[in-house]
Amino acid sequence: MLRKANSFPEEVLEHVLSFITNDKDRNAVSLVCKSWYEIERWCRKRIFVGNCYAVRPEMVIRRFPELRSVELKGKPHFADFNLVPDGWGGCVCPWIAALATAYPWLEEIRLKRMVVSDESLKVIAKSFKNFKVLVLSSCEGFSTDGLAAVAANCRNLRGLDLRESEVDDLSVQWLSRFPDSFTSLASLNISCLGVEVSFSALERLVGRCPDLKILQLNHAVPLDKLANLLRSAPQLVELGTGAYSAELKPDVFSKLAGAFSGCKELRSLSGFWNVFPGYLPAVYPVCSGLKSLNLRYANIQGADLIKLVSQCPSLQRLWVLDYIEDIGLEALAACCKDLTELRVFPSDPYGVEPNVSLTERGLVSVSEGCPKLHSVLYFCRQMTNAALVTIAKNCPSMTCFRLCIIEPRAPDYQTLRPLDLGFGAIVENCKDLRRLSLSGLLTDRVFEYIGTYAKKLEMLSVAFAGDSDLGLHHVLSGCEKLCKLEIRDCPFGDKALLANAAKLETMRSLWMSSCCVSFGACKLLGQKMPRLNVEVIDERGPPESRPESCPVEKLYIYRTIAGPRFDMPGFVWTMDEDSVSRFS
Amino acid sequence: MSEVDMAVIKPEMMKLYIWIQTTDGAIQQVEQEVAMFCPMICLEVVQKGMGSSKNCAISLPQRVSPAMLSLILDYCRFHQVAGRSNKERKSFDEKFVRMDTKRLCELTSAADSLQLKPLVDLTSRALARIIEGKTPEEIREIFHLPDDLTEEEKLEPLKNTTDDPRIRLLNRLYAKKRKELKEREKLKDVDAEEEHVDDRSVDDLLSFINGGDGDSKGIKTSKNKKKHRKRKDLQKRAPSNEAIETHKKESNAATSLRHNAKVDHELQSSLSEKLKLQDAAGEIFAPTVEFEDVDDEIDPALKEEIDREVEDFARILNSDWPERMQELLSLGQERRLTHLSVNGNGALKGHASSIDGNKKRIALSLM
Repeated sequence: MLRKANSFPEEVLEHVLSFITNDKDRNAVSLVCKSWYEIERWCRKRIFVGNCYAVRPEMVIRRFPELRSVELKGKPHFADFNLVPDGWGGCVCPWIAALATAYPWLEEIRLKRMVVSDESLKVIAKSFKNFKVLVLSSCEGFSTDGLAAVAANCRNLRGLDLRESEVDDLSVQWLSRFPDSFTSLASLNISCLGVEVSFSALERLVGRCPDLKILQLNHAVPLDKLANLLRSAPQLVELGTGAYSAELKPDVFSKLAGAFSGCKELRSLSGFWNVFPGYLPAVYPVCSGLKSLNLRYANIQGADLIKLVSQCPSLQRLWVLDYIEDIGLEALAACCKDLTELRVFPSDPYGVEPNVSLTERGLVSVSEGCPKLHSVLYFCRQMTNAALVTIAKNCPSMTCFRLCIIEPRAPDYQTLRPLDLGFGAIVENCKDLRRLSLSGLLTDRVFEYIGTYAKKLEMLSVAFAGDSDLGLHHVLSGCEKLCKLEIRDCPFGDKALLANAAKLETMRSLWMSSCCVSFGACKLLGQKMPRLNVEVIDERGPPESRPESCPVEKLYIYRTIAGPRFDMPGFVWTMDEDSVSRFS
Repeated sequence: MSEVDMAVIKPEMMKLYIWIQTTDGAIQQVEQEVAMFCPMICLEVVQKGMGSSKNCAISLPQRVSPAMLSLILDYCRFHQVAGRSNKERKSFDEKFVRMDTKRLCELTSAADSLQLKPLVDLTSRALARIIEGKTPEEIREIFHLPDDLTEEEKLEPLKNTTDDPRIRLLNRLYAKKRKELKEREKLKDVDAEEEHVDDRSVDDLLSFINGGDGDSKGIKTSKNKKKHRKRKDLQKRAPSNEAIETHKKESNAATSLRHNAKVDHELQSSLSEKLKLQDAAGEIFAPTVEFEDVDDEIDPALKEEIDREVEDFARILNSDWPERMQELLSLGQERRLTHLSVNGNGALKGHASSIDGNKKRIALSLM
C-alpha cells in the first residue's frame, strides 16, 4: 500500500478523534476533506447548536448518527432583559420528539433560554434508557410535574441542573419521586425554585448519593437544616446554601461551623440569600481552599465582605454586590492574587443617587493587584478614559470585558469627553478579547477602534452608543471573528446593514432593537439572503401597515440552513422572497 | 563450570531471541521479552509458532518500516521493565513522542498494525494535540490532504466577502475623511483653555493607542501581508465565482461576488496595473496607516484614478440612498430596486425622545 510522505494514518483517525472533544476543533476536523468529514460525523458524540433555528433536528440526526450529548440555545441573549416578547419562540418540543426517536442512547441534554413543556420532560424521562444529565438554564414552561417524571424514570441520572429557570409550582413533591434505589446523583441545582421542597426527601436523597459533588439549594432550605445536609455529604465540591439567616443561636452556629470543617473538598460557595452576618464566620473553615465565591444575592455590608474575602487567598472567581465598594476591592486585590474573574452587581440599580462608594477606582485596584484577571463584569456609576487605559495596560490577557455604567451616555466624569479612547485602549491592548459590552457616552470613533483592533472579538453588546451608520459599518467590516452582535437604542440604520449583508452569514446572529432599520431594508435583506432568517418583531402590528421607511421595533437576523420557521407568534414576521411579494 | 559461573560469564546466553523479517527483506534477531510486548508478534509466536528460527521469521506488516521497528522496540524495551514508576514512564513517553509530524504519522500507523495499544494511544494523543486549535486549511497543509468538500457539505460559515469593492472604497473614503478631520483639528484656533488641555490629553491617549513607532512598523508588516493576501485573493475569487454562477437565485449588490467580479473587471480594464489594485484591495482590514502606504506605492496615474473613484463614491454616498443603490446595481447590471427610502434623521429624532423614559431599566441590558 503506497502512502504519501506525511500522510495521515486514516485507520487511526477515529481513535485520534476520540481525544478531540472541543466543538470548534471537531468542526474544523469535519471540514478538512471528504474522508475526514465522513469519519468525523460517524464518531461525533457531542453537538452544540448555538441557535435552535439554525438547523432542523432531522438534519442533525442525518449527519450525526451516534450522538450522546446535545446542547441547544433558543432565545437571543437580550431576552434576559425582557427585550424579547413572550411567545417569540424557542420551543424545544420538536427537537425532543426527533431526538427521542433517533437516539435511544442519548445521555445528555443541555438547553439554554428555551421553552420546555412538561410533556417534553416526560418524553425525555421515558425515551432515553441511559439518560444522565439534564441542564435547563434560563428555561421556562415546565412545572414540578415534569420534574417528577424525570425523577421517577431516569434511573441513571447523574446531573439535574435548573439554573435560573422558571418553574411552575404544581405542589408536586417531585424530589420524593426519586426511588430509594436511586443513588447515582452527582450534581443537583435547584437554586431557582421558588417553592419549598420536602426537606426529608432531600436529606434522604443527599444521604444515599455518595457521588454527590454539586448541591445548590434554593432559599427555602433553612439555615438550621444546612448542617445536617453537609454532614451527610462531606465530599461536596460545590455548595449553594439556602437562606443564610436565622436567629443567632450558639448551638446552630457551632453545628454549622463543625459541618463546614468536615467538608474538606469544598471549593465553591454560592447562595447566601438573606445573609445574617453573624453566621458568616461559620464558613471560615473552608475559605482557605475556596476557588469560587458567589455573593451576588448577599446583602452584606462592606466590612463583613472584606473580612470574608480576606480569608480566601486561593479565590479565582468572585461575584459580589457593589456593597464591597472601592475599599473592599482594594482588599481583594491585595489578598486574592489568583483572581481570574470578577463580577460586581448593582445593589440599587434604579436609585437616582449612588448608595455605595463604588467607582472606577475599585476596578483599577483589582486590575493592578490581580495579574491573572481575564473576565470582568462591572456595574458602576462613573468611569474615566484614564481608568480604562490603566486597566487595559494592566490586563493584556483580558478575554471578557463588560462594563455597565448605569446611566446611559455617561461621559468621562473628569473630562466630560466620550469614553471612546478608554474602550479603544481595551481593544487595542487586550488582543485576546472575545466578549465586550460597552456603555457610557460613545461616538462612532469607538467602533472604529473596535473594528480595527478587536480581531478576536466574538460577542459585542452595544446600547445608546454611536452617531451614525459608520459605527455599525466599522464593526461589521472589521471584526473578523464576530459571532453575536446585539444592539439597542443606537442610530444605526439601513446603509451599514445592507453594505455588510454578506457578513451576517458568517455570524450566528444580530439583534437590533430601537434602532433605525427600515422595514424596506429588512424586506430587501430577507429577499436577497436566502441563508438568513430576517425576523421583524413588532408589537405595533403588521409592518406593512406602516410606510416602508418606517423603522422596525426589533430585528433579529440569524443564519440558518433550515429556512424560515413556522412557529412564529403574531408579532413576528420572517422576511423572505414570498413575504416580499405578500407585503408589496 | 558451575551454573553461577555460567551466568556471570555469559548472561546473554540466557536471553531468548525472536527472528523478525522487516519490510526490506532483512532478517534480524530481537530480544524476545521486548518483542513480545507487541500483541501482534506475541500472537505469531504463541498461536502460529513463528519466530523461533531464521526460516520461520515473523514478517512484519507493511506499515512497519525498519526505522519504525527500531523506535517501537525502544518503546517496548523501556516499558516492559516492571519496576518503573508511573512518573518515569510518563516522562519517557513525553520525550518519546517529540518528533516531526511525518515520523509521528508513520509511528502511529506502525504501532496500530502491531496492535500495541499503549503506543497507539500515546501517538494518537500527540496527533490530536497537533490538530487541536488549527483551521481546516492548516490541517490539510500539515497532512497533505485534498480539499475536496463541496459547498453543500460545508455547513460552516461562508468566508467573509470582504473583498467587496464598495466596502474597499468605503474604507478608503472614511480613511481620507478622518485624515482631513485630524488636520483640521491641528490647524484650528484654540478657543478655551479647557479645550486645549483636553486636546493634549486626547493626543497623549491617541499616541498611546497608535503606539510610538506605529507608522513605520505598520508599513513594514503590511508589505509582507500584501503579497500573501494577493495570492489568496486570486485563489478565492475563482471558485467562488463559479459557485455563485450555479446558484439559482441572483443575489444583489450587497452580496454578489459575480457583481464583485464585474465591478473589478471594469475597474481593471480602465486601470493598467491589475495586480497592484488587487494588492490594495486585499488590505481592507488594515488600519488607516496601511491605506496611506498603499496610496504612496501606486503610480500617480493610478492614484488619480482611485481618488476620482473615491470622490465619485463619496458623492454617491451623500446622495439619496435609492439613487445610490441604483447606481451600484446598474454597475452590476442586476434588476433595479424601487421604493426604498430611508428617513434616517426623522427616525432618529423620533427615537431619541422615547429613549429617556426607559433609561434606567434599559441600562442593565448591558450585561
